[in-house]
Amino acid sequence: MKTRIGFFDFTGCEGCQLTVMNLENDLLQVLQLVEVVEFRELMSEEVSQIDIAFIEGSITRQQDHARLKTIRDRTKTLVALGACADNGGVNLLASHQDVAVLRQQVYASDAVHLLTEKPLPLHEVVKVDYRIPGCPIDGREFLAVLQALLLDREPDLPNFAVCVECKLAEYPCSFDYGEICLGPVTRAGCQAICIAGGDRCRGCRGLVDNPRTSPYHRVLEEHGLSVQDILEQYRTFNIGEEL
Amino acid sequence: MSRKISLNHLTRIEGHAHLVIDKKAGKIESCRLEVVESPRFFEALLKGRHFSDIAPIVARVCGVCSISHTMASLMATENALGIEPDPRAKALRRLLSQGEILQSHLLQLYFMAAPDYLGIPSIFQLLNQRSDLFSRALRLKRTANRICELIGGRAVHPVTTAIGGFTALPEVSELKQLRQDLVDALPDLEATVELFAGFEFPEFLRPTEQVCLAQPGQYPLHAERVISSCGIDQTVAEFKTSIDEYIVPHSTAKMARTERGHYCVGPLARVKNSFARLSPMALKVAAALQLNAETQNPFHGLKARLVEVIHFVEEAIHAIDNLLLHSYVSARTTAMPKGGGQGVAAVEAPRGLLFHAYSYDSKGLLETADCIIPTAQNLASIEADIESLLPDLLDLPDEQLKQRVETLIRSYDPCLSCSTHQLQVAIK
Amino acid sequence: MPADLSLTIAQDSQDETLWLAMSQADILRFARALMQAYDVVAPRRKKGRITLGSLNDAAELELEFPPSVHSPKKFLFPHWDELFRFKLDGNVLLEAESAAPPRIIFGMHPCDLHAVTILDDCLFEGETDSAYRAKREATLLIGVDCVPDEHCFCTSLGTDRIAKGFDLFFHRRDDSYLVQTGSAQGRQLLTDHAPETMAGPREAPLALQVKRCDSHLQFPTESLPLLMKDAYKDPIWKKLGTDCLGCGGCTLLCPSCYCFNVQDKLELNLKEGQRVRTWDSCQFDQFAKVNNGDDFRSSQSDRQRHRFYRKYKYLWDQHKRTACVGCGRCSRECLAKIKPTEVLNDLFTQAPSQQIANSPGSEYQPQMAKVERIEVISTEDRLFRLKIAESFNFQPGSFLQISVFGLGEAPFSIASPPDGSDEIELVVRRAGALTQALHRVRAGDSIGIRGPFGNGYPLEKMAGHDLLLIAGGRGLIALRSLMLALLAQRENYGRITLLCGARTIDSLLFQEDLLEWHRSGLIDCRFAVNEQHNSWGIPAVDVSYLFRDLEINAGRTIAAVSGPAEMYRQINPLLFRLGLSDEDIYLNLERHMKCGLGKCGKCRINNICVCECGPIFPYSSVKHLAEAIEK
Repeated sequence: MKTRIGFFDFTGCEGCQLTVMNLENDLLQVLQLVEVVEFRELMSEEVSQIDIAFIEGSITRQQDHARLKTIRDRTKTLVALGACADNGGVNLLASHQDVAVLRQQVYASDAVHLLTEKPLPLHEVVKVDYRIPGCPIDGREFLAVLQALLLDREPDLPNFAVCVECKLAEYPCSFDYGEICLGPVTRAGCQAICIAGGDRCRGCRGLVDNPRTSPYHRVLEEHGLSVQDILEQYRTFNIGEEL
Repeated sequence: MSRKISLNHLTRIEGHAHLVIDKKAGKIESCRLEVVESPRFFEALLKGRHFSDIAPIVARVCGVCSISHTMASLMATENALGIEPDPRAKALRRLLSQGEILQSHLLQLYFMAAPDYLGIPSIFQLLNQRSDLFSRALRLKRTANRICELIGGRAVHPVTTAIGGFTALPEVSELKQLRQDLVDALPDLEATVELFAGFEFPEFLRPTEQVCLAQPGQYPLHAERVISSCGIDQTVAEFKTSIDEYIVPHSTAKMARTERGHYCVGPLARVKNSFARLSPMALKVAAALQLNAETQNPFHGLKARLVEVIHFVEEAIHAIDNLLLHSYVSARTTAMPKGGGQGVAAVEAPRGLLFHAYSYDSKGLLETADCIIPTAQNLASIEADIESLLPDLLDLPDEQLKQRVETLIRSYDPCLSCSTHQLQVAIK
Repeated sequence: MPADLSLTIAQDSQDETLWLAMSQADILRFARALMQAYDVVAPRRKKGRITLGSLNDAAELELEFPPSVHSPKKFLFPHWDELFRFKLDGNVLLEAESAAPPRIIFGMHPCDLHAVTILDDCLFEGETDSAYRAKREATLLIGVDCVPDEHCFCTSLGTDRIAKGFDLFFHRRDDSYLVQTGSAQGRQLLTDHAPETMAGPREAPLALQVKRCDSHLQFPTESLPLLMKDAYKDPIWKKLGTDCLGCGGCTLLCPSCYCFNVQDKLELNLKEGQRVRTWDSCQFDQFAKVNNGDDFRSSQSDRQRHRFYRKYKYLWDQHKRTACVGCGRCSRECLAKIKPTEVLNDLFTQAPSQQIANSPGSEYQPQMAKVERIEVISTEDRLFRLKIAESFNFQPGSFLQISVFGLGEAPFSIASPPDGSDEIELVVRRAGALTQALHRVRAGDSIGIRGPFGNGYPLEKMAGHDLLLIAGGRGLIALRSLMLALLAQRENYGRITLLCGARTIDSLLFQEDLLEWHRSGLIDCRFAVNEQHNSWGIPAVDVSYLFRDLEINAGRTIAAVSGPAEMYRQINPLLFRLGLSDEDIYLNLERHMKCGLGKCGKCRINNICVCECGPIFPYSSVKHLAEAIEK
């Protein structure tokens, strides 16, 4: 029997699921090996038991907690899909502001149905077995993780910085152009796609396991950043909260 | 005896919503589209950020239309800060938007809408019996995504787009290959038209004002004037000011109306208002699908979408020819803003008119942001359509009733992730 | 009548290196022709930088370019190199790799060619790496000369030029080029694809071009392994560890790094795949980790140290050359600005100077000392105060060899006491070419010093004794060092008497100090000058005259005599008559010291070397030496 996989989403942009869809031909190959049994955006079917659930988005409301727990009960393996699910992602940019105040400001009322809490990554609500980081995920990494799970192997994410991928691909370093780049402390696996496009790394994949923050901060200071500026850099995708 | 029919977690739409219908004594008491997508307070996320960070953050509002948000955001910021983008960037931005609309429409047509007309719960059912259909859908999406990848660097959340233009350009060889891919897609597109021409669309009429952009000499994508089927002809700023957004208790998304009431945006609005600007192939396809500018049937949104696919493929081929003729090595102005300011811009996203408006302080940090997204402008119409349609469906069994209503909703291709963040920040 | 000469001239010998002229247009044509038969890899511009890639259009070929981002290792030992494919179909089927495609790398700088030799050494030794060999044998190497940039330090490593290891090498000559063949295949390339050039006249070899690098090592490369041998615990590794970002850029870009990982990649159908090797780096966290989590090189300091040791010590020990070619790629791309030249120079300046002694002639290499101050102390003499790198121990009476490069070296007594300071003093009298040159030196200049050499006055033995110091002329200089040492611990010594003789008042050195010491009762100074009607109004006598009134306690007195040879013949008998034994009389016997190391033979007195055993001798050691004092 084919492995049964499902896609679910909470508070996010659904870009990670779209990236899976964008795998095109590879998706066809994958579908020879697995059965997609639930994928709300594209399917109306629903089942009771799943083998692997890929979940996108952060948890922001009570009803989300309940729904997530139900999915956790229904699936053998749970994989956080994308930055919002993995570490909160952009959803947490406003986390330093009081949510009630935000609601007032933004909706100009106390609209109760708009009640939300501070967005949580999945692992703060249920046990998450594996993760695919990034905003959006890298389709090839999704395939690699899925393949590992199908082979009953631990998926392993690269544990070196984006700098490695830039150097392998011979991209000019953003710092040489006066741009502040989070590459040196961000986990590789994205093929340095943003630097390839001429943009800088904003850290959407989260920190490497052992970020060399001390020398990195020194480099940032040499480029004119204050401590405040440096902390601001980490906030876009909510990495480095503990720093 | 009152009965509640509810469809929780509507499927095959972008974003989360429930449909709830209250029936009492054979009559519809109320019907509501409860958008339950969690609000994310994007304006608050953007406050205080540097103008160079705004577009990348705002792209994360929606995965399917990240490019539209990026375009609108960049143009609004450029407008606010008095930055003139590189003139060569215009053509590239247009091509990028075309790519996005293509991939969005194709995704919606094949994966979200077609199953309704094929009588199956999802396209995945076709894997075994009609794998050719599935493959075709993927092939077409592949080519559409290739445009986005080549010009934008990545299909979801582009990376080459920047204030002033583009930070990286495609190679000439890659553009040539893409052109070839587009030309090679024509047989698949013909087959698609054939498929959809064979579908039976419900007959249903409800006149609505259709609003879209007006771009001189071109099918509208990035423009500065707004027009409608009922005579509106204003600047983007004027029209935006006339939009009134309001909260309803059953929805996390705001609704929109003008003084005149509700209106619609989207492919149908564009096709109707700009029929004459459609490409030769698109006009032929419109005829084959029996779509004309006078239609008032919301189900025809699907047909409009397909017509736009043909139109934009043809446009893209010509656009690439033009790029190859005038190939250049850079398309970015690096002008810096001279202070703060306010600006507004509008683009035609796959689902319709999208507005972004910002104000920046003298340091280039964002003070306020406001986005009005297509689906928000359609939500009231959707509800009105359903209300209007329901009496005809009352005798149907619940399953079929739900099915028909869902099909109607899908004709609008709503994008609910987008619709739950648009807001005006009133500083108290 | 000579044999038919024309025949011998027309044929080049098979092994001979040919030098042929080629214009830029010729080279372009050559490249275009090569592209028909080979995959030609050359430096190309990508995003404003030079990267190696297959040429699509010969017009893109560049002949003058800064170092490429990746070295030719990109093609000879590529990242993601397939070792074999496999199919899983019940059984496992392994598929062999096809032969490597024929390729030319057109545009290798001398450093990169050297790096290939290093890779050859490492990958051919033991079990030859067949994947590397296949590519190596299928690739022809065409070198191109270059101008170093601010990160290159090839000149320090001798890798700025290369005599062999290439098939062809293009040298710039004025506005055009000379191509040098380096192998039979190179000649064949020209024959096949540039026949007109091959048929052209043979040129004379180009003289070696001198290159200059802004970055360079401050010591000879041969000292590197010795430097590294003792540097394992140096604190500099800790500093590197805190600076390093662990990005691995240095090792990825290094043309001679080849550490790799081996991993499998399955296709999506899970039925087939490939086993590949990928570039790895000793700088990565995962590199040395084992399954249970142990990491055998967990600190970034250890990792950087390992890199340096691999490049500058371990591979030297194996192959007698450094594994670094000074291409500068690692420092060019390092965000933390770690530069090998800075690290190595730092280690060198920290290292005690005696350690770097093994390169040939190193003991003759002077250290540079800065002249802090020059004082004119007589019409002929100048006192130099020098700043030395590290203070050294010596006895008063020792000497230094002072170098003026271009004129040579000469010995000078140290005029300052051994007080452990980093400044020493010398007195230079203007006599010959070298001392005249020294008199032209200004404060702030640097001169070479070597030493200290020789045995001096035994301060410890002198403690608790009276001292009788006898100076003649410039012998006073050595005694000045002694006197200052004595005065520094005046309470350790008894009566100090100085009998000082000079030819004239003007030639009397250190007058003010001596008079000051005499007035304050520290030293009893008595003077004798040969000059009649001198400005002091003292009788014109010689120093032996000063013995008349001398009262000393012979049992407690040690004498130190320093002056010209004839003085000893006069003074020694006087000292004996005073009752001093020959163990208590110390003489300063200067000779023409040159090497300072007991080798050159110039300072020998009979069977001893003054530089080693003297110049300060107790009389008992030299009384049997016929050449010492007696004429």
